[in-house]
Amino acid sequence: MKYMIMMFGGIGAATQGRSAEWIAGMHELLMKLDTELKESGECVASDALVDPSQAKTVRFINGAPVPTDGPFAEVKESLAGYWILEVDEDRALQIVSQVVAYTEYPMEVRRIMDHSAQP
Amino acid sequence: MDGERRIEDLLRELAPQVLGALVRRFGQFDACEDAVQEALLAAAVQWPAEGIPDRPRSWLLTVAARALVDAWRADSARRRRETAAVLDPTDHILPADPTGIPDVGLAAADRDDTLALLFLCCHPALSAPSQLALTLRATGGLTTAQVAAAFLAPEATIAKRIARAKQHIRDAGARFELPAQPERTERLGVVLHVLYLIFNEGYTTSSGPALQRPDLTTEAIRLARLLYRLLPEEAEVAGLLALMLLTDARRAARTDADGRIVPLADQRRDQWDSAAIAEGQAILTGTLGTGPVGPYQLQAAIAALHAEAPSAEATDWPQILALYDVLTTVAPGPVVTLSRAVAIAMVHGPTAGLALLGTLDTDDRMAHSHRLEAVRAHLLEQTGETTAAHHSYLRAAKLTANLPEQRYLELRAAQLHQPAPPANPADWPDQQPRTIDAGTPNEVSGHP
Repeated sequence: MKYMIMMFGGIGAATQGRSAEWIAGMHELLMKLDTELKESGECVASDALVDPSQAKTVRFINGAPVPTDGPFAEVKESLAGYWILEVDEDRALQIVSQVVAYTEYPMEVRRIMDHSAQP
Repeated sequence: MDGERRIEDLLRELAPQVLGALVRRFGQFDACEDAVQEALLAAAVQWPAEGIPDRPRSWLLTVAARALVDAWRADSARRRRETAAVLDPTDHILPADPTGIPDVGLAAADRDDTLALLFLCCHPALSAPSQLALTLRATGGLTTAQVAAAFLAPEATIAKRIARAKQHIRDAGARFELPAQPERTERLGVVLHVLYLIFNEGYTTSSGPALQRPDLTTEAIRLARLLYRLLPEEAEVAGLLALMLLTDARRAARTDADGRIVPLADQRRDQWDSAAIAEGQAILTGTLGTGPVGPYQLQAAIAALHAEAPSAEATDWPQILALYDVLTTVAPGPVVTLSRAVAIAMVHGPTAGLALLGTLDTDDRMAHSHRLEAVRAHLLEQTGETTAAHHSYLRAAKLTANLPEQRYLELRAAQLHQPAPPANPADWPDQQPRTIDAGTPNEVSGHP
């Protein structure tokens, strides 16, 4: 089974009021986790996105698609990065809990659809 | 040397020579380039198992020529009519006894062929990404998969890009020969720019989790060396090679053990590659007095001044500023202005540097660049405007597309917002004014 784990928030969202040491610790945690999950083979793919302020959203306005500056969601709820893990739900939740224990900021776990045609 | 590495290096070296020989005979650059690719792939599979042949170049020529013939035979009637006048192509380049082909080093004809090849790959009809991809494959001898890995792009995308590039070359009626002057000088400028872009992409990667991709910088240096061998009297060719060597010399010191960015001022200079620095300096010195100084030589001279300083504090900033003043007249641009602002700050104080940055605020080319904000943040920090500096660092962090840079900038912002200083002032890192990193002017990040 594959799960997508999502982190949210632009620069400053999850790190509001945190010290440099805390932020450095967060970077270290994320880097270490990424390495561990890749080495264990549980992580199929992962990536970080540029800050939501750099996104463009195409909206349907007055009958036509129009690109507008900014993300779809609020900056603090915009996708910041993801992991795609080949694990079961319990393991996904366990991994995510490690991060949330440090960041104290929400992360989402959602199963990825299976594409094989079932008879 | 590791056997597989030796084979790979040999294939890369022979690739452009074999391609040049084929195109020289048959034209049809695109078909020949595909054929050489096939031969390279065949060699990569067979040579490790069977050993390197006695005459590796002839081996590749034979296999590529056969692949070419096979492609023609499988092709449309139109192509068969076009080539009907040509006898069996293998007659042209291979005597009855293939062992009769001398396997010597780069002969004069080969030099011209490789140069013509390089020029062809950098044809002005192609977009920059196409020039880069084609140069790496056709002149660099990389496989499509290797080029794709280098640019973190899907292999199919690169394959299509290269196929389209060769189509454009054909449509533009480009010929496999060195252009006459003044086109030759112009085209050489394009070639240098393409090699520079390859180097820059490796030095500060524009996507992916890493700061740098050493395989790309190594490849750029290798191609620059090749060009230097082909055109030893061209000062800007030497300048570019020197610039690459002097810049790449700092590679090991740019990141710490955890992959975090280390600014130029904080780098451990004992980790710099002194052999590369010495070579870069020697090549650069060789260009002095040979004529008007070009932008690559100037940038190399600036890089040399950084390389020569035993410590950040000992850096000859007035001399660096003088070079930026010349660079501004020779090759003006927003990136040069940015780097010059850093030098001005080091010589005349941060406020003077900030004033020059102000002139870039209305420059569209800098509008979405994190570098302007990052430099501004450094200078504001130096003037003691910590709040403004904090906000500038955050803005820069939001603008960059490079993850290690973003983390670095985010940390710098947070360091300016410490809730309270630590009990021991010796732990407080920022009591000394930080020297700002200038790097080389055209570096994507303006970083170490």
